[in-house]
Amino acid sequence: MDPRSSRFAELTSGGGLAALAARSGEPLPQLMEARRRSLLARDDAAAKLAALDRQDDVSVVVMGSWGRLELTSGSDHDFVVLVGGSPRIAVSPTPEQVGEVLNKAPSRSGAFDDVAYVDHLVTRIGRRADDNDNLTRRMLLVLESMAIAGGEAHEAARRAVIETYVDTRVKDYRPPRFLLNDLQRYWRTICVDFEGKQRDRRSKDKWALRAAKLRTSRKLLFASGLLPVLECHDLTAEEMRIWLGETFAAPPVDRIADAFLRHEAYDAGVRTLVAYDRFLGHLDDEGFRDELRSLTRGDEDRSAAWVEARRLGRQIEEGLLALLFDRDALARLVRQYGVF
Amino acid sequence: MVASPSVRSVLASHHPVGASTGCFTSLRGDWPGLVTAAHEVSSYAAELAALQAREFEGLLAFLELEPTLPFNDLSVHAPTKGLRGPDHLRTLLERLPLGIETIVVHPDTLGDGDELAALGSRLIVENMDGRKAFGQTADDLADVFARLPDAGFCFDIAHAWSIDPTMALAGELIDRFASRLREVHLSSLSADGRHIGLTDEHAALFAPLLRRCVDVPWILEAPVSQS
Repeated sequence: MDPRSSRFAELTSGGGLAALAARSGEPLPQLMEARRRSLLARDDAAAKLAALDRQDDVSVVVMGSWGRLELTSGSDHDFVVLVGGSPRIAVSPTPEQVGEVLNKAPSRSGAFDDVAYVDHLVTRIGRRADDNDNLTRRMLLVLESMAIAGGEAHEAARRAVIETYVDTRVKDYRPPRFLLNDLQRYWRTICVDFEGKQRDRRSKDKWALRAAKLRTSRKLLFASGLLPVLECHDLTAEEMRIWLGETFAAPPVDRIADAFLRHEAYDAGVRTLVAYDRFLGHLDDEGFRDELRSLTRGDEDRSAAWVEARRLGRQIEEGLLALLFDRDALARLVRQYGVF
Repeated sequence: MVASPSVRSVLASHHPVGASTGCFTSLRGDWPGLVTAAHEVSSYAAELAALQAREFEGLLAFLELEPTLPFNDLSVHAPTKGLRGPDHLRTLLERLPLGIETIVVHPDTLGDGDELAALGSRLIVENMDGRKAFGQTADDLADVFARLPDAGFCFDIAHAWSIDPTMALAGELIDRFASRLREVHLSSLSADGRHIGLTDEHAALFAPLLRRCVDVPWILEAPVSQS
């Protein structure tokens, strides 16, 4: 199945992002351009991957900025060869073949550029077997994944993971706790891993770039999962499955924009996404990225790039906090479910 | 700072709120003391205000010592008096540490050019009250933002009220510059245009517009106990 046909039908019209842009008169040019660039890159990759043998239950899925439709000139092309079952000897295509198409040598370290099995994502829950890579793949499959080959297999995998979170034990009008806990665990894991990397001499060099992304893209990604899960409070369990399946098919910024619109927090929504739009524009600038990459800890206040990234991160955070705590309906949900 | 119930209701509904050091007139020039006083009001937000050019020199000297500034959101109010033109203002502001990411400026101090454009998004431009010749209306500010395209907006709600007590101008300012809004100045004004503590009447009148500004710091420009 052509990956463009179902899941991303909404994306070309922009969904919540386009609606917020239209309402505010703010064109959000960087986000729109990143989306256009991401879809073009997807089309290009899909055409090339079509020449490779692919097993029916295998999809090639991109995550990270490409999966969010936020590709910039400095983006990594993180991908996973996702297999809709348990481990097998031969998988087609191989990560090496995909890496060649994407001009990227598989790193084989971390969660990306490797084979992942849906069985692992839905059965290895918590404890030792649910390691960092498994958690990362499960969450990113739900929150920010896009197929560049095998759209049907990807959609089936995504649905399987959502149904694992929203199984028969989920009660009507109660946000699914397992998904909520996993989301919060994932966000806190990213934050703690960031600290771990600061203590690792080998990975100290990119701390400012990582910190800037943590305060912007990753924080927004977490919120884009948290908001729909909290809003399950208004739904029956069956409605939750449909709602989460549909809303997680949209890119994260659309979910964020939709939440601001739904709760009539237009002004804060515009400011939040204008700040993120600006950050993406900076991220597309090699000079800005280089300045952040070269920063050593302690010198950050001498970097205009860092001060700007920090400011934009704070603006995004304050916009999200205003949405979560200054709208009565959401504030009650955060109080009830957000802490314990 | 002790507030009446209705003023407290408006302030309690918002986070973060903080104080301008201009509230603490008895400590003027004592920057460590002013920071301590502002911190006692809030550790979330503060504005270091030095409205005289000479006073600003004292602030620069204080900031050169790299003091601990225990606020999440911190802005510096640029001088508005004792200036020898926009170049003088630019020279002073360029001496601020880069870590000061928000600088409040008055539009009537900026001249007609783009001398301050290099300060980019660190600048936020405040709307003026009726005593100033320029900078009260949305069109005035649009003209400034055309020259300073990266600058943000500091919404002084009492200044807008002083021009148009129906609050139509205040609403227009928020409508037109919503995406630029970075800070709110919150107070009432005396008959002679001085900032005084937020009154009950203004707390009620301002509340609908303040609800559109819930994601930016609100800076108290006068002690609320005076209301």
